[in-house]
Amino acid sequence: MNWNWTKLSAGPARPTTEVASHSPLAEDLAGLLTHEDADRARDRWEVSRARRAENKSRALGKFWVLWLLVGPGVLVFLGENDAPSMLSYSATGARFGIGFFLPFVVVTFLMGLVVQEMTVRLGAVTHRGHAELIFDRFGKFWGFFSLGDLVLGNFLTLVTEFIGIRAGLGFFGVRPALAVSAGLLVVFAAITTGRYWTWERITLALAILNGLFVPAALLAHPNWHEVGHAMLTWTPLPHGNGFDILVLMLADIGATVTPWMIFFQQSAVVDKGMQPRDIGAGRVDTLLGAVLATLFAIATILATTPLFHHGIDASQFQAAQFAEALRPWIGRTGAALFALGILEAGLVAAIAISTSSAYAFGEVLRTGHSLNRPMRDAWPFYSILLGSAAAAAALVLIPHAPLEFIVLIVNVVAVLAMPPALAFLVLLVNDRDVMGDDVNSVAQNVGAIAVTVLLIIAGLGFGVATVFPRWFSWL
Amino acid sequence: MSLADATSKEINSAAEATVPDMQDPSAVLSVLEADQIVAAKQQTRFGRRKLSRGTRALLWALRVYVVIMLVLVVISAFRVIHPSP
Repeated sequence: MNWNWTKLSAGPARPTTEVASHSPLAEDLAGLLTHEDADRARDRWEVSRARRAENKSRALGKFWVLWLLVGPGVLVFLGENDAPSMLSYSATGARFGIGFFLPFVVVTFLMGLVVQEMTVRLGAVTHRGHAELIFDRFGKFWGFFSLGDLVLGNFLTLVTEFIGIRAGLGFFGVRPALAVSAGLLVVFAAITTGRYWTWERITLALAILNGLFVPAALLAHPNWHEVGHAMLTWTPLPHGNGFDILVLMLADIGATVTPWMIFFQQSAVVDKGMQPRDIGAGRVDTLLGAVLATLFAIATILATTPLFHHGIDASQFQAAQFAEALRPWIGRTGAALFALGILEAGLVAAIAISTSSAYAFGEVLRTGHSLNRPMRDAWPFYSILLGSAAAAAALVLIPHAPLEFIVLIVNVVAVLAMPPALAFLVLLVNDRDVMGDDVNSVAQNVGAIAVTVLLIIAGLGFGVATVFPRWFSWL
Repeated sequence: MSLADATSKEINSAAEATVPDMQDPSAVLSVLEADQIVAAKQQTRFGRRKLSRGTRALLWALRVYVVIMLVLVVISAFRVIHPSP
């Protein structure tokens, strides 16, 4: 296909479901199609074929459509079960055992679900990424603020992912430099396909290994009666230093609700070529991701409860130390599974988060930003993707780098950066010029505002506890 | 032939329908929406929206909140790493 610019007299963008062949611009567009369009069209054709099959056999057809459209939602939630998140859950289980935090984690994922559902609708209707929409609708000033939050948060988080990769492989005796290089190699390998579909399936296959925490949890032989009691009654309540409990709660929230998730899922929905009629499947995809991630998060808490029961002080533990400390109770196999889970958590998140940064920069700089483009066609996009991952990986290997500091603050920073990100999301998803009839319903707005208010309260609570720690000593 | 066999055969024939040549522009344009085409997206933009005073105040308030909280986080983390004697 020739790359031949023709001025399109399209006017401003508006929400539309008009098929391109019926558009008055069809003739112009036909001469401007790219490799990215062809790849996306191929994926769309498969979805159309599955929908035609749905007319013949509802159940099989529906499953086929869902299989094709599952991806962004599962990836974003399993990607958010990243190395620092699994560390937060591990610390929670080791410190407090089975109790309040089990249903609390479920609630945090419900919060995430409310937020991520909006990104599905935004991406499917507007076919624009989140960064692009913020720049377009709110201008460069607010756009650069949002981008700044994302870049800072993503870089800090990427550093912790490579710490997790280093720790996970370190359990098996792999040297730090080799472990970090292997992690980078996996990130690179995932993007060499030049096809969004292939990248997505490879990353999904890796992401499902987040479930390794489930057999680790089963090997810990949790008391299921206590688990059921905790889920229903939210007891026993956590005891101890109020500030530590607050920080852990914030870390657990930060383990499920972070700005990169908004940017990533919306851009992935766009890159996947989803359309408004796919919103239902997108919601199922997001729900599936939330359910799986919740199960795996709870499994991680349960897996470390032996440390609680045996009075092991895990307050200074890093990820691989949990695996080693658990060995007497869950055995060598269980410890190895735990370590592999930490490795997977770091790997998948490194892939997803570096991709979200690359999407955002590509949208803002208006350069090619699709995993459907070969590297030579979108070298700025791939350079940012690999460059951000490489910079984070390099920092992990630098002696005396402030890694402990970064690990401490990363989840909390994510929680604190969420309210502005949510404000833009809610404003966009209520914008009729952008969303047409797919704007938020009243119930959806109530949910979104409730999540935003909760996050602000959590952040303010953290601030007060930082300045006046004694106020929380009664907890 | 049983109903299950007939259904399976129809599904297979739908599944076996050949993938059209995506080098053919008409094939691409028939499955993508107009504003999914890369060139169309690059040429068209959603315009700036007018922000009300309340919205601007909210965005500024949230921005100030983030900056203040980030400072507190850094102080807190510093205290944990370098506790006072």
